[in-house]
Amino acid sequence: MISLGLRLTLNGGRETLLRVLVTAAAVALGVGMLLITVAGLNAVNAQNARYGWLETGALPQLPAAQQTNRPDPLWWLLTVDVFDGHQIGRVDIAATGPTSTVPPGLSRFPAAGQYYASPALAALLTTAPASQLAARYPGHLAGVVGSAGLPSPDTLLVVVGHSAAQMKHLPGAQEVATIATTPPSDCSGPCISLGIDNSGLDLVFAIAAAALLFPILIFIGTASRLSSAQRDRRFAAMRLVGATPAQISVICAVESTLAAAAGVILGFGLFFAARPAVATVPFTGTRFFAGDLSLSILDILLVAIGVPLAATVAARIAIRRVQTSPLGVNRHVTPPSPRAWRLIPVFVGLAELAYFVHAGRPGSTPGQVAAYLPGLLVTMAGLVIAGPWLTMTGSRLLTRRARHPAALIAGRRLSDQPQASFRAISGLMLALFVTTVAIAIITSINAYNAGPALPTDARATVVDQFTSFVPPDHLATSVPSLPAALLTQLQSQRGVTGVSVVHALSKPPTGRQGLVPYAPRGVIACAQLARTPSIGRCPAGATAVVVQARAQGSDTLGATSRAWPASTISPARLAALPVQYVVVATNGSTQAIEQARTTLERAYPVLYSPETIAENASLSFTAQRAAEFRQLADVVILASLPIAGCSLAVSVIAGIGDRKRPFSLLRLTGAPLSLLRRVIAIESALPLLATAIIAIATGFLAAGLFLNSQLSESLRAPGTGYYVTVAAGLAVSLGIIGTTFPLLARMTGPETARNE
Amino acid sequence: MTATVEARDARLSFGETPALQGASICIQAGEILAVMGPSGSGKSTFLHCLAGILVPSSGEIYYAGQRIDTLGESARSALRRDRFGFVFQFGQLVPELSAEENIALPLLLSGVERGEAISRARGWFDRLDLDGTQRRRSGELSGGQAQRVALARGLVAQPEVLFADEPTGSLDSLTGEHVMELMVGAAKDLGTTVVLVTHEPRVAAYADREVIVRDGKVNQLASTAAPS
Repeated sequence: MISLGLRLTLNGGRETLLRVLVTAAAVALGVGMLLITVAGLNAVNAQNARYGWLETGALPQLPAAQQTNRPDPLWWLLTVDVFDGHQIGRVDIAATGPTSTVPPGLSRFPAAGQYYASPALAALLTTAPASQLAARYPGHLAGVVGSAGLPSPDTLLVVVGHSAAQMKHLPGAQEVATIATTPPSDCSGPCISLGIDNSGLDLVFAIAAAALLFPILIFIGTASRLSSAQRDRRFAAMRLVGATPAQISVICAVESTLAAAAGVILGFGLFFAARPAVATVPFTGTRFFAGDLSLSILDILLVAIGVPLAATVAARIAIRRVQTSPLGVNRHVTPPSPRAWRLIPVFVGLAELAYFVHAGRPGSTPGQVAAYLPGLLVTMAGLVIAGPWLTMTGSRLLTRRARHPAALIAGRRLSDQPQASFRAISGLMLALFVTTVAIAIITSINAYNAGPALPTDARATVVDQFTSFVPPDHLATSVPSLPAALLTQLQSQRGVTGVSVVHALSKPPTGRQGLVPYAPRGVIACAQLARTPSIGRCPAGATAVVVQARAQGSDTLGATSRAWPASTISPARLAALPVQYVVVATNGSTQAIEQARTTLERAYPVLYSPETIAENASLSFTAQRAAEFRQLADVVILASLPIAGCSLAVSVIAGIGDRKRPFSLLRLTGAPLSLLRRVIAIESALPLLATAIIAIATGFLAAGLFLNSQLSESLRAPGTGYYVTVAAGLAVSLGIIGTTFPLLARMTGPETARNE
Repeated sequence: MTATVEARDARLSFGETPALQGASICIQAGEILAVMGPSGSGKSTFLHCLAGILVPSSGEIYYAGQRIDTLGESARSALRRDRFGFVFQFGQLVPELSAEENIALPLLLSGVERGEAISRARGWFDRLDLDGTQRRRSGELSGGQAQRVALARGLVAQPEVLFADEPTGSLDSLTGEHVMELMVGAAKDLGTTVVLVTHEPRVAAYADREVIVRDGKVNQLASTAAPS
């Protein structure tokens, strides 16, 4: 029976071969995507593991008693620097003895006066003028950091060697027992700007994978139904002459297994071919090393065995009708219609989300996850359940108003087979829903966090911050005063338009533990503030004003045009206060900004790195994470829309195949080919566009309800990028449908009527 | 009488296989012509050439004095849509449409407003004993009913020529005869010329004249009268 199955598959005519090839292609695409997703997860883990050593400062310090027979401790300080908008990780390090652990990627421990740069930074050092970059690092470049110490090929990292005596006095430096080998479970403190939140990304990748895989599964299912009428006739004929259901199952399984096996092989080929390109996509904000996109033996076995198995099961389900009856022939009668109850789940999901708008959000994070996730999942499931009813209702409206036979035929087919019509686009609906919710929430949260738009001079004003909150509850600065020579040097640099010094005025409320949401205040002479107008201005007659950090919980100055309240502090007392910020206004050129930054870093190498006000906003952890999620959402939508288009195209071809004879006879009777094209276009494009509108609208509604209850914020419209992405994806899908038109002409030619 | 459809020395091959080898015929307006012949003789190919579906590789085809084998595909399509009607052996109904919509389809294609097209289509149900089937789909009609719907579709636009290719081929003899009686009756009423391809002498007997296609050539037979 297996050999008969093989013979029927390989010599079963063009339609069988087409079905096998399209199914194999769909499986290949699915396997390729699945492998890329699994390898992507592995790559995130690999990348995260290589971030691990940079989190050394977050390691719990071992008690002295446990440090016997351990390597000599080392001094450690991680800071985040910036060059031309790109982050540079800077590790200042000093060994305390010969056995201090050498950081990964280095051949030896850097001595005082030596530094090692990542290849990307080393390349930058050769092109950027020394006064704008290299001068930040004391000593000379002793070598490059190998890939073992780099999360990504693009990582900008420098490891600066010091003596232990030097580092002991550096503010923020800590003595650690060894170099960390794994990232900490909680990414806070020193790792906040360089690390990635592994568990969070796992979840996001899993959702993205689901949003991608669902359309692919639909594609495979659609492909296996291609020419099903012809296959059903063949199987029914075999049943009529005595073939048992088991024998039909075997024959069917041979075909599907053959297609799936070919698809798996092609899929692995697709994965290895696409791997170098996929590695360049910055899913986590930075590229992967191609080798990080790896597969374990278990991953390979699961895909290589699981996919053909799943395809065989799917094929068995597909032929169940033929198995029960040898007369499993497709007769066209008015089928039962989907009922309106299908709308209930989507309303239940949205009602659940709406409930929390009135009841208020749960207090704890797990409580919030338990509250919102089911609502979103039920809404997603509800959309899939409601889809056939919506398709049927929409097509009935179309049929009722149809003036042209094309609309009549297409509308009737859609309302006859709403399940089948919707199935081909259900994956697209989910992908659009997930993407819309994600982007709408990200956009709104960004707008919520960003406050008013930054003025142009926010990009031209460098702020060096000398204070930080130090637990338990005080604000500290280690810079008592600024040398006049430094101020003169800064003021004389090309492109610098003004320099001002903000002195620390206030301390946070006492008696509270930990970091408190508090905006620290400083005081500045009006004569200086006039030269750095982007941080505010003085009221008329004032000699000094009190300025405040940008927002509660932030210790950074923001751009503003406000007039600060006057201060009565005397010039002598002002000069005696410790320094809180140095603010350098420039003409906005890279040269001026980077030269000012380098000058400040040379003077104060291990405090917070100077940043422009705009960089501080855009390089924050939240802003970067939001950008990563947005990128992932774009990937989901750009990949899933064409896949949905492929499903639609296959389903269109199947639809033409089912109606080959009546269509070709219609053409013989004088119906123009354009009529059939219009039928196909309406049948496929109408549900595609209607589904897109419904999914997007429901996505915005769900996101709005979530934002309202979680943040008491209203929904903000996404930027044009989102609409362009959706429009481009839909255009590609429609283009794919358009590719079936030549096939329509061929399949309904006069020969079909003669030979069928 | 004037010639409505005429073929002059039509020749056509499918690959190496010759289908027509100099077929000629002259069909008068209002005439019912039966084209007979064994399987594979080329009778359907001949009908397709006369109807402008296929273009002979040599020879000439005329309709109402105008040569049609030199027309482009779109002009021939328009001719078939506006002047000709067709009935095939089976499977010609659009499965998604109801019986009345199938009958109205040629009118809709000609730009007739939907309400009027349906109304004109409904007029055929009583005439062809199809009452009660207006809203049924093709899968819900018997073979005879489906052929009568197809016949109504072929005649609803009042074509000048009706081409029928084995219209009773998938029906039992009794139902086939019923369909033929209705077809001939309706054609006579409308003055429509009928070109009927069949291999059944009983069906051919409904025609005014019979010809036989053999080896790709047309041989004239004597005129016949409809059986009583």
